Amino acid sequence: MFRQSIYRAVFVMVASAMLASCATTPLEESPVSGNPAVIALADTARSEITRYRYPEAAASLERALRIEPRNARLWHELARVRLAQEDYSQAENLAKRSNSYAADDNALRRANWKVISECRRELGDLLGAEDALKKSKP
Amino acid sequence: MLALAGYLVYLDHTVRQQFEGRRFALPARVYARPLELFVGKRLEPDQLVAELKMLRYSATDDPGKPGQYGRKADTLSIHVRDFVYWDGAQPARRITVKIRQGVVTALVDYQTGKNIDLTRLEPVPIGGIYPAHNEDRVLVRLDQVPNSVVDALIAIEDHNFYRHWGIDPRGIARAVYTVLTGQRVHGGSTLTQQLVKNFFLTPERTITRKFNEILMALLLELHYDKKDILETYINEVYLGQDGNRAIHGFGLASRFYFNRGIEQLELHQSALLVGMLKGPTYLDPRRHPERAKERRNLVLAEMQRQGLITQMEKDAVRYRGLDISDNPGVGASAHPAFLELVHRQLRRDYFESDLRSEGLQIFTTMDPVAQAAAERSLSRRLDQIERARRLPPNLLEGAVVVASALNNEVHAIVGGRRPRFEGFNRAIDAERHVGSLMKPAVYLTALSKPDRYSLVTPLDDSKLVWKEAGTDDWSPENYDKEFHGQVPLRLALANSYNVSTARLGLELGVDEVIETAHLLGIERDMAPFASTLLGTVNLTPLEVAQMYHTMATGGFHMRLGAIREVLTADGKPLQRYPLKVEQTIGAAPAYLITAALQDVVREGTARRLSQYLPPGINAAGKTGTTDELRDSWFAGYTGDRVAVVWVGNDENKNTRLTGSSGAMTVWGDMMAQLSPEPLVPPQPENVERVRIDVATGLRADEDCANSIDLPFIQGSAPEKSAPCATPSSGNKIKGWFRRTFGND
Repeated sequence: MFRQSIYRAVFVMVASAMLASCATTPLEESPVSGNPAVIALADTARSEITRYRYPEAAASLERALRIEPRNARLWHELARVRLAQEDYSQAENLAKRSNSYAADDNALRRANWKVISECRRELGDLLGAEDALKKSKP
Repeated sequence: MLALAGYLVYLDHTVRQQFEGRRFALPARVYARPLELFVGKRLEPDQLVAELKMLRYSATDDPGKPGQYGRKADTLSIHVRDFVYWDGAQPARRITVKIRQGVVTALVDYQTGKNIDLTRLEPVPIGGIYPAHNEDRVLVRLDQVPNSVVDALIAIEDHNFYRHWGIDPRGIARAVYTVLTGQRVHGGSTLTQQLVKNFFLTPERTITRKFNEILMALLLELHYDKKDILETYINEVYLGQDGNRAIHGFGLASRFYFNRGIEQLELHQSALLVGMLKGPTYLDPRRHPERAKERRNLVLAEMQRQGLITQMEKDAVRYRGLDISDNPGVGASAHPAFLELVHRQLRRDYFESDLRSEGLQIFTTMDPVAQAAAERSLSRRLDQIERARRLPPNLLEGAVVVASALNNEVHAIVGGRRPRFEGFNRAIDAERHVGSLMKPAVYLTALSKPDRYSLVTPLDDSKLVWKEAGTDDWSPENYDKEFHGQVPLRLALANSYNVSTARLGLELGVDEVIETAHLLGIERDMAPFASTLLGTVNLTPLEVAQMYHTMATGGFHMRLGAIREVLTADGKPLQRYPLKVEQTIGAAPAYLITAALQDVVREGTARRLSQYLPPGINAAGKTGTTDELRDSWFAGYTGDRVAVVWVGNDENKNTRLTGSSGAMTVWGDMMAQLSPEPLVPPQPENVERVRIDVATGLRADEDCANSIDLPFIQGSAPEKSAPCATPSSGNKIKGWFRRTFGND
């Protein structure tokens, strides 16, 4: 059990380090869900990401989202996969979708705005990027 | 002589080319969604058993083999079969599932005793996309085929198979004799000749064809060994008919007749199948069990005579029943309407010929539970309505679309009241006036302008005459033929008032409303006429579902789709259809339109939905009725599903039904079977809830007897308090702040 959680932590760190290069702040490392099925799928997604297997990662997250469709963290993770794939339009919209379910999780909201800002910059919407960047600051 | 040699070379080429080049055309196999199992899943034991039955699991006390299950009260032990999914193979394993009060509370591996995080039952096959003549088959290798099949086959059809060169001279002599004496050619064919006949030649019976058949059989034997020929024969032969689907090969036949893999065939079953070769229709064991049994025992007797089985072996099985499985297939598909949507979506990405021959595996989004409920409710309600209202039988037709409200997946498609019937698919092809179903586009356009409109903005429902150059004056009427003066916006929608809606739409501009409809996902062009506001636009039920889906998701457009993944015949991932989202409608106006559509159900034209659903579900929806009662519509959503029902008549006759007396009852009857989740959309940041006095539409407080809580985009709620509210100093100060600084 202990070993498993170490592995899990390592995955999370590696995945976050990778995604940090896409200019997102790593979220506080709270579990993505209370449901073991969802946690397992999110873990799979992360390990796929470390191997640059983005379609597989997305498939895993979509499967998790079928179980917990209102889980804002999962939508955020999917947004990050699309960002890593340089699909900026999808990444932005998925981050917005995540925000629609984020309720009072301000750290997650900020992380989503950061994704949105990055996407808008890549898409040439500099004003929009600036606006989103402001919302990503505490 | 030279000509003959040339001809031989040509035939040789044909035989080799086709035998090697020709792989069997395999249909694309289409599957429903697999049922996911995990702790916390909402699932009734009966639902799980229903799913297992669809997968043809057999009930037993000790499910020792894959494909078996046992049930003790609310605990099920299931021996799940192995299956290859998009994300890899899931081996067979035995699991224990405990369900308490409709929720999975434990999921354990029977062997190891360990908890399982997540697993799934293999998906229910829902049909195929078939090659020419609807040939269906499941390929098998010779080493999978039990000896009993091979022995029976050779004993009955060609006992010299291992010794001849492709033809049986005595058989041919007999055939030649019958021809010379003027009889028709038949019999005398070796397995090789039969194969040649099925494979390369047309079915007419002439001397030339017989001659070709003999030459080709000889050539085939020259190039290939007996094993290849036998294996091909076993996969090729025709063994029966399932509706419009032709059953080919022993692999599929053993599933079709006995619900088991060919490896598991027992002697009496092998004998039955081989016996049927003589005439699969005449000897169909489901329709003519006596004939089939007699023929089977004849095969067994012949096998014994040739020393392939002992007398004891024969006697052990000759009194056994046919052991045919009940529920055979249902033709190409039990759900042709859903399959058609899948097929159309696939056609955008694949060649038709590949779909019909490459054996692709298509994993769809169909939820068999929703599909069954939709089919049942439509057929049942239309029967009931016709009887209760003394309508001519079969006057009514209908269509249903069900989709997830949380992603883009279509769960069910019903194209008519006889769902097995492959005909006009009304769900995706019937284009009908949508009537009041268009109204939410008008109100959503208004609610997107919070500086001008909120849910309580008074609308003018007095007589309207619209003059437009080039058209007649337009003067819409309400359904009750009356005018209602000043009506709060949400109640104008709830009561589906035409006049105030038309006036609102004209105020906003028809083009703007049409633009909103496009943002909601209607792709086709709509004429910019004033009457478009009241739904004189032809849409299919699927298009309407798309439109309401975007409202159900809180403004995120996701193109509805029916496919998740495509795999090759041998299980390699080929393509995935990922979820794509685009926010086309602001979160706040989307939230408000849902609140307004919830009012339609709570107190408006859809209030009788409460006969079907408990009020706690808080469903949102809209009724639609077109001129002369030609179409009865209902579109709506719960927390987890969007559904659209159309009821009408193919010849556009009067149905004597409104949206609420027709389609809505189908919708309610269906949803009630699907244990819907309550609709509680997440409240956007810039939306606040304000207590409003019903009589005046102004701010209320606890002193007001009749008040309701309504959502407003910040800054758009009325500032004034109703007379019933005592203006406290706090309220006054708040009101002053709001007026001075705004609320953002």
